[in-house]
Amino acid sequence: MITEQNLVTDENRLERFLAFSAEVTAFTVFELQGTGQAEAYLKTIGDVVGAALLDEILTVHGKQMSTTGDEGRPARNAYLRREIFGSEKLGPIARNIVKLWYSGVWYELPTAWTENYGPAPKDVTFVVSPASYVEGLLWTAIGAHPAGAKAPGYGSWAAAPRIPRFAGDPAHLPAAADEEPARLPA
Amino acid sequence: MTSSTITTIPAKITTLSELQDYLHLAMQLEHATIPPYLTALYSIKPGTNADAVHVLRVVAVEEMLHLTLAANLLNAVGGTPDLTREGFVPTYPAYLPDGEDDFQVHIAGFSPSALETFLKIERPRSGPGRLVYRSYAPDASVLGAHPGGGGAHFYSIGEFYAAIEDGIKTLEEEAQAQGKTIFTGDHARQVTSEYYYSGGGKLFPVTDLSSACKAINLIMEQGEGIEAEIYDNENELAHYYRFDQLLKGRYYQKGDKPGNPTGPELSVDWDACYKVKEDVKLADMPVGTELYVAAQAFNETYAKFLRMLNRAFNGEPETLFGAVPRMFEFRNLMTELIRNPLPGSNGLYAAPTYEIAGVARNDAPTAAPAAVGAVKEVVA
Repeated sequence: MITEQNLVTDENRLERFLAFSAEVTAFTVFELQGTGQAEAYLKTIGDVVGAALLDEILTVHGKQMSTTGDEGRPARNAYLRREIFGSEKLGPIARNIVKLWYSGVWYELPTAWTENYGPAPKDVTFVVSPASYVEGLLWTAIGAHPAGAKAPGYGSWAAAPRIPRFAGDPAHLPAAADEEPARLPA
Repeated sequence: MTSSTITTIPAKITTLSELQDYLHLAMQLEHATIPPYLTALYSIKPGTNADAVHVLRVVAVEEMLHLTLAANLLNAVGGTPDLTREGFVPTYPAYLPDGEDDFQVHIAGFSPSALETFLKIERPRSGPGRLVYRSYAPDASVLGAHPGGGGAHFYSIGEFYAAIEDGIKTLEEEAQAQGKTIFTGDHARQVTSEYYYSGGGKLFPVTDLSSACKAINLIMEQGEGIEAEIYDNENELAHYYRFDQLLKGRYYQKGDKPGNPTGPELSVDWDACYKVKEDVKLADMPVGTELYVAAQAFNETYAKFLRMLNRAFNGEPETLFGAVPRMFEFRNLMTELIRNPLPGSNGLYAAPTYEIAGVARNDAPTAAPAAVGAVKEVVA
C-alpha cells in the first residue's frame, strides 16, 4: 500500500535512492555521497528504464523501513529478496543499481526483461562516465584502487590490501560480545 | 586588524634561539597553506578544470617540499622540529600578512575569492624588511608573525624568509669568527631526496651556509619568483604566476613579463566545483551523523599523520615511506567529505575542519602499513 509517507517525489527521490542503495551495497549513505555519483546514477536509471520503475522499487523498499537496525536486518533482507530481487520486473533493475554503484557501468538488462517490460532503446552496456569508473565501490571493497587513478603512493604495494568490514559479513560476525561495532551503523 | 602601524626598523635575528623560533614559524607557515590548497583542489569536480587541478596540485606538493626544507634548516642549526605542539595547525581562518592589510586564509572550495587569497599568499614582496604592528583577537592564528610577539608581523612572506637568511648569515659569520659554526645539527636528521618525489625542485640536506641559503632561495623563488622574474633558476614558473594564469585565462611562456601572459588560453569553470561551507567546523555538523563521525575521524587521522611526520623530521626520515600512502589516503577522505551535503546549510557541502588541538599524544611507534590500515577502519 502506498501511504503518503511512502510516496516517492521529485524532492525525496535522491534521498530514497541513497537509502535503498546503502541497504543493497552495504556502504553508508555518507560513502555513497562521497563518490559524487548519486545524481549521475539516478539520471542513468531514469534515462534507460524510466523514473516510474525506480520509484516502484523505492516504494517497495520504503514499506520495510519500520524494521530498522541490525535486529531487523534478516527480516529486511528476506523482504528485499522476495519483493524486489525476486521480482521479474524489479529484480534485474535492482541488480543493475548494485552493479552501477560497484562498477560505474550500466549493464544491458536480460532479454527476457526487455521482451516483457521493454522496449528500452537506451538499454545497452555503457560506462556512465570516466569518474564513475574511478568511483566504483568495488575498488574499496577489494582494498585496491582503480588502475590509472587514485594512485595510493610509492611503495604502498608493500602493504596488504585493506578489506573493509561490512555489517552482516560472516567473516567478521562478532562471536559472543559485540565489541567491534559493525562497519555500517544500519 | 583593528589598528596597525608600520615601522621601518628591520627585524633582525640576533641569537640562535631566535633563529630556531623563526624556522619553527616557517614550518608552521608552509604547512598552513597546504589544507586550503588541498581543499580547493579536491572541491573541483572530477573531469573538469584540468588546468586549475594541475596548478593547485603542483603548488600544494611544492609547499610540502618547503615544509621539509624548513625542517632541514631547523635541524641543521640544532633545533628540534615539533609539529605536534599546540597551535602548529592554525585555527582557520588564519591571518597572513600582506602589506598594510591583513587577509585571512580559509578552508574553502575553489572559487574566484579563493584564487585571490592564493595570489595574496604567494605575492611578491615589494619593499625592504619591515614589521607591521597590529592587534588581534586572542585566539586568532597569525602566520608570519614576529616570534617576539607583541602583535608584530612581517610585511610579506618573502620578507620573513629574507630575515631568516640574513640571520643565518650574520650568526654564522659571528660563529666562524670564533672558529665555530651554527650548523651543529646531526646530519642523520636531514630528510633527503630519496624520501620525497613528484614535484618541482629538489630536496637536499642542509649542512652549511651555502646549502641553507640555497634552501631559502628555493622556497622564495618557487613561491613568489625572484625580483621581476616569473621563472625560477630551474625554469619553473613561480606559484604566484601559476595562479595568475588562472585569473588571466592564459598561460605564461618564456620571455613573458609579469602580468602579461602570452601563452595558450585556458579556461576555468567555476560552477564545476563543490560549494564548500567556508571554514566549516565540527560544530556545524549534526552530532552522531556519519558526516560528523567522518569529519572527526579525519582530524584524528590528520593528527596521527602529523605525529608520523614529526618522527620523520626528528631522526627517523624513513617514517616518510609510511606517511606518503597516508597522504594519498587523505585525498580520498577529503574528497568524500567535500562531496557530502552539509545539513542545514542551504545546499553547501562539508569539508575537513582541521580542528587539530592537542596532537602531542604519545603514540606507540607503529609500522607504516599497519598504521595505514588502521586509518580506513577508523574512518569507515
